[in-house]
Amino acid sequence: MAAVHDHDIAHAHDHHPTGLMRWLTSTNHKDIGTMYLWFSFIMFLTGGVMALTIRAELFQPGIQIVNPEFFNQLTTLHGLVMIFGAIMPAFVGFANWQVPMMIGAPDMAFARMNNWSFWLLPPAALLLLGSFFAPGGAPAGGWTIYPPLSVQMGMGMDMTIFAIHIMGASSIMGSINIITTILNMRAPGMTLMKMPMFVWTWLITAYLLVLVMPVLAGAVTMLLTDRNFGTNFFNAAGGGDPVMFQHIFWFFGHPEVYIMILPAFGIVSEIIPTFARKPLFGYSSMVYATASIAILSCIVWAHHMFTAGMPVTGQLFFMYATMLIAVPTGVKVFNWTATMWRGSMTFETPMLFAIGFIFLFTLGGFSGVVCAIVPIDIQVQDTYYVIAHFHYVLVSGALFAIFGGAYYWLPKWTGHMYDETLGKWHFWLSMFFFNLTFFVQHFLGLAGMPRRIPDYALQFADFNMISSIGAFGFGLSQLLFLYVVLKCIRGGAKATAQTWEGAKTLEWTLPSPPPYHSFETPPVIR
Amino acid sequence: MKDDNKQPPKGTLLQIAKAVFWAFFGVRKQSDLDSDASSLTPAQVIIGGLIGAALFVMSLIIVVKIVT
Amino acid sequence: MNVTEANSVVLRKLLIFTVIMFGFGFALVPFYEKICEVTGLNNLLQADTLVENTQVDTARWVTVELDANTRGLPWQFKPLQSSVRVHPGELTQVVYEVRNNSDREINGQAIPSYSPQLLGKHLKKLECFCFSKQVLKPREVRQMPVQFLIEPGLPTDINTVTISYTFFELGNDNTASLDINADQL
Repeated sequence: MAAVHDHDIAHAHDHHPTGLMRWLTSTNHKDIGTMYLWFSFIMFLTGGVMALTIRAELFQPGIQIVNPEFFNQLTTLHGLVMIFGAIMPAFVGFANWQVPMMIGAPDMAFARMNNWSFWLLPPAALLLLGSFFAPGGAPAGGWTIYPPLSVQMGMGMDMTIFAIHIMGASSIMGSINIITTILNMRAPGMTLMKMPMFVWTWLITAYLLVLVMPVLAGAVTMLLTDRNFGTNFFNAAGGGDPVMFQHIFWFFGHPEVYIMILPAFGIVSEIIPTFARKPLFGYSSMVYATASIAILSCIVWAHHMFTAGMPVTGQLFFMYATMLIAVPTGVKVFNWTATMWRGSMTFETPMLFAIGFIFLFTLGGFSGVVCAIVPIDIQVQDTYYVIAHFHYVLVSGALFAIFGGAYYWLPKWTGHMYDETLGKWHFWLSMFFFNLTFFVQHFLGLAGMPRRIPDYALQFADFNMISSIGAFGFGLSQLLFLYVVLKCIRGGAKATAQTWEGAKTLEWTLPSPPPYHSFETPPVIR
Repeated sequence: MKDDNKQPPKGTLLQIAKAVFWAFFGVRKQSDLDSDASSLTPAQVIIGGLIGAALFVMSLIIVVKIVT
Repeated sequence: MNVTEANSVVLRKLLIFTVIMFGFGFALVPFYEKICEVTGLNNLLQADTLVENTQVDTARWVTVELDANTRGLPWQFKPLQSSVRVHPGELTQVVYEVRNNSDREINGQAIPSYSPQLLGKHLKKLECFCFSKQVLKPREVRQMPVQFLIEPGLPTDINTVTISYTFFELGNDNTASLDINADQL
């Protein structure tokens, strides 16, 4: 009952303000979740416009639309915006909406901090995008902001560094909130091993975030002092070492990859059992595999740096470790497949996205194992093969899971069913155009086309044209998603509390849409 | 190392090692998991996990030393 | 203990953990340097010791191209000869000349770079101006030797190599602190 008491204090005056002030001051996990999701969608479109400009430039060989400096700024900002602005906040948005409802808690543990961690994001985004207008433009050295380039660039780089600091602080606060909520606010009877998979994956992701986000903050702080205060962490001339930045950066960067995919695993692990009408196969294995992936992700970072100069012992160590991380990942894919085995499956849009996720993420995983092999990696380093690889895991992995999760929970959030026909159209268009865009990039990479270059040799022309057409198709398909979501918010068939026949987790016991304050009295867990 | 007389929180060393090993592989039987969940404390699992990770790193280094 | 207290306990622990990890990021710097020192990587500022009795491979010629650059300091820096032909194993000396074109005293540090990368393993430098910082008075001109040999172990398909030095300005304090500002580059 302590939880109820605590909650009543937090919302002593319950006549919450309306209009803009409602959103600015909201400490309600549902409001904040909504804001996170809209923020990430806006950033997704922003980063998407950058991607389309890149693809438009690459439609034909030669320089047509943007100059090379601006092209480099676009590739850099596209990466930063999509990672820190779109994918990560989207998952935090899902966590805000779903974690309290799935564990039977009335709200997040620290409601005010929750408000703060969201409202840090828009200023950070403005700072990041504002760097385009700084003298010298936005950073142009790639999203990994390697020195010496990042030490030499103009003011835009400082703005980006501050933006990363703010977004890092926001992520850390969000993670602390999620960990505390999951550890302390579960309804009585909800033991750790009864938690839904999505909650488990977020618990582990949040731990990873507090583990590595501060390291990134340290790395960019060193960059900042190198740039402005005469320190020499990464300055070869002053006794520093630019390669050291790569080590510190990827010590953050590789776990970051899993931060962006583990919640996706969680969402897919909710969708598949619902539409296969069977419990998740090997729940405990899934929990253990997630933990295993998280631990292993911290010891494979240098596979991003095989060509940076490393003793062969180091190369072999990181190669073996990287290849072994495929084992727990494979266990997960096996479990999803086994969940579907002999299930009574139906193929609503969330299920389509989940199956698309499994299919394409596995493909991306396999090209990852290919890249893990040192001699091949030396060949494909910084080519479009790598681009294809990580878009297969981040777009058809993380992003498809986000779409799947959005369709899955939209009826719960809005109280209306979305338009199933349009949802299916959105899936099939995304699926087709995604593969059109990125599958051919494997061939481009193997043929030697380097990334982050605005121009290319004539023999790459055909595949680039195909890829650009695919990119525009994919980008435009996302407007359909926007339309479906808006239509669903404005009305549609009433969604029942359970919505999906096979849905078993706690949020489906609440009415759709759930009341503003849910589970003020903790539910009873069987 | 065995305190079988007191059942609740303490798991045996062997049990921790087994749980950590299977966790690294990513597969665990439901019955074993239930016994893990009832008899292992989080601290035991975390320390076991860190030792497991260290052992994993060392074994990889040994393999690398052998092949180079 | 009610939930609010339990929550703030977790909050405190996680904040402490965050601060520790922030410090860990910085602790990686000395850790990295230690690893480089132990494994002998990145050894730029120490002279190599000559292994006795080096065999000179007179049957083979290697062309060593010499390159010189400056970064952000008003020095003129060049080798006296643009390239030398040497036998592997043969001790060779080349001379670089540096001229301070400004009216102030400047500390500089030369950082070597090799092409192909593999050369780093097979080049032994016994004497080099890059092992210490160079202080040049206004308008001073200085000739500086580099004594090196290329080990016969250099793969036989490599016939031409490049040794390049770049001078960077050091601050005036004795700690090697250098400020390259964005506008100088």
